Amino acid sequence: MSAELAKQTQATPARRRGRIGDLLVRWSFMVPAILLLSVMLAYPIFYTIDISFSRFDISSFGAGEWVGWENYIEVMDDYRFWESLKVTMIYLVIALPLQVVLGFSIAFLINAEWAGRGLIRALFIIPMVVAPVVAGGMWRMILDPLWGILNYWLGFIGIGPLDWFGDPTLAMAAVIIIDTWRWTPFIVLIATAALLALPKDVFEAAKIDGANWWSTLWSVAVPLLVPVIAATFVIRWLGAVKMFDIVLAATYGGPGKATNVINLFIYEEAFRSLRFAESAAMAVIVLIVTMVLTGLFLYGSRKLEELF
Amino acid sequence: MSAPAPSTAHHTRTSTSHRLRVMGGIAVSILFLFPIYWMVLTSFKQQVDIFTTPPKFLFIPTLETYIEYMQRADITRRLVNTIIVATGSGLLSIVVGAMAGYALARIRIRGAATFGLLILLSRGVPPIALAVPMFLVARKLGLTDKHITLILAYSTFLIPYVMWLMRSFFLSLPRELEESAMIDGCSRYGALFKIIIPISLPGLLSTLIFSMILAWEELLFALVLTNRHASTIPVAIAGIAGDTVNGANWGALTAVGTITVVPVVVFALLVQKWLITGLAEGATKG
Repeated sequence: MSAELAKQTQATPARRRGRIGDLLVRWSFMVPAILLLSVMLAYPIFYTIDISFSRFDISSFGAGEWVGWENYIEVMDDYRFWESLKVTMIYLVIALPLQVVLGFSIAFLINAEWAGRGLIRALFIIPMVVAPVVAGGMWRMILDPLWGILNYWLGFIGIGPLDWFGDPTLAMAAVIIIDTWRWTPFIVLIATAALLALPKDVFEAAKIDGANWWSTLWSVAVPLLVPVIAATFVIRWLGAVKMFDIVLAATYGGPGKATNVINLFIYEEAFRSLRFAESAAMAVIVLIVTMVLTGLFLYGSRKLEELF
Repeated sequence: MSAPAPSTAHHTRTSTSHRLRVMGGIAVSILFLFPIYWMVLTSFKQQVDIFTTPPKFLFIPTLETYIEYMQRADITRRLVNTIIVATGSGLLSIVVGAMAGYALARIRIRGAATFGLLILLSRGVPPIALAVPMFLVARKLGLTDKHITLILAYSTFLIPYVMWLMRSFFLSLPRELEESAMIDGCSRYGALFKIIIPISLPGLLSTLIFSMILAWEELLFALVLTNRHASTIPVAIAGIAGDTVNGANWGALTAVGTITVVPVVVFALLVQKWLITGLAEGATKG
């Protein structure tokens, strides 16, 4: 470092100009991204924070006078906000582990070597690129209590008719089913590649040592897969906290507020009730909670990687 | 794992479990594809064939709903809007994001890593935290309901995504490529355009396609930032699905849904090979 500095001070003006030119060229690769994201990402976040501490001025349609923590206190007192956070939590706690376990299990199934393996793997891409809002609408039709095909089939095994969108628990189940349908294939594809990358000789050694199927899975495969499982969980978490489209199309938060996830609640408060200051405060709270949890998960996945 | 075992006792055991795995795999695939099949099937039904018990698998197909709905609800215009916005934001993000990804992978700049980390962290920002201020600012500047607004809004999540994918792609290329080019007198941009971009073309194209798919299906920003002229297809679907006044319009829902999904599926299958490795790379290295 100091040697470099010494060289720099000795440099002739011409060489220094070359150096600055080079520095400019180097930075020119990063600058467009930094500029665009400062305007479109950083500035909106600061503006949200600004609004969250102000009274919203309808006449100028912007942040009015400074009110300190008022909006935050109001939001914290709002039981609907807590209800919505609870709903979001229930969805996350059930859906994420379910999708990861299901994704890796299905990957194990479809990795069996046979002629159709490539085709099946390609087919699993299809649900993954169905727009979430389409997925929500499509499943709303399939789960329809009266005309839906699923209830018709469930009738054969003596279940139902289930009122998927009228019962709070079933509505949450429906949202989780749709979300799982849409996102598990994504995990399957990651898991498929991860399973294929596992070293074969370790499994052969385990087999020779007489390890049974279960202990091979638990003491050989799972430890090797831990980094990928953790990474998949983090990626899926980053997507799941943005949950909006599927709920909007399938249940619109109903019945009552049973599936009113936080993003939908904030959206409604802002754009239907025009309570921009309160929704900004909620958005800031959600932003902070998300960032903290994301940091924790990233840290946790690093730690797990070291452990195994 | 399913390598044929030498002893016969072992052999029969592995082949039964192998057969079970294959059958399980097929069953699960059918389960996952059925909803899409059912949607496409329903889109070709007449109203009388949609609401039946038992549900109909055999019927006389019709294009009625397609023809009717392409004229109503501005579907054609929304389709054009969606194409404009997806292409625009895809192209903008691939250029800007790939440059940043290249800088992070190859060029040593002091402080750039911090920006890179910040940009990656931004993947955790909930879009609703951006939607409120974007709406307010766009409204003040008279930029609501314009294509460019959506294009810029989408770049907030597409640029970090592209940067992240392309960084690991560039890292996988041998360093000697540009080094030798630069020794031969190429500038940094010369090396990029003459050497790196040509060999990265498959990766760049696939990333462009993924970005366009993400933009194609985006709903929240489109709901908030557009209302008539620049509105996209997902907004229409949300409208049809949530239409409680006219009741369940399944014909429209499935027809518009099919129109939305088919082009994306075609594109995704075109790049499927790269999609799978790209995903796996991203998951393990990101």
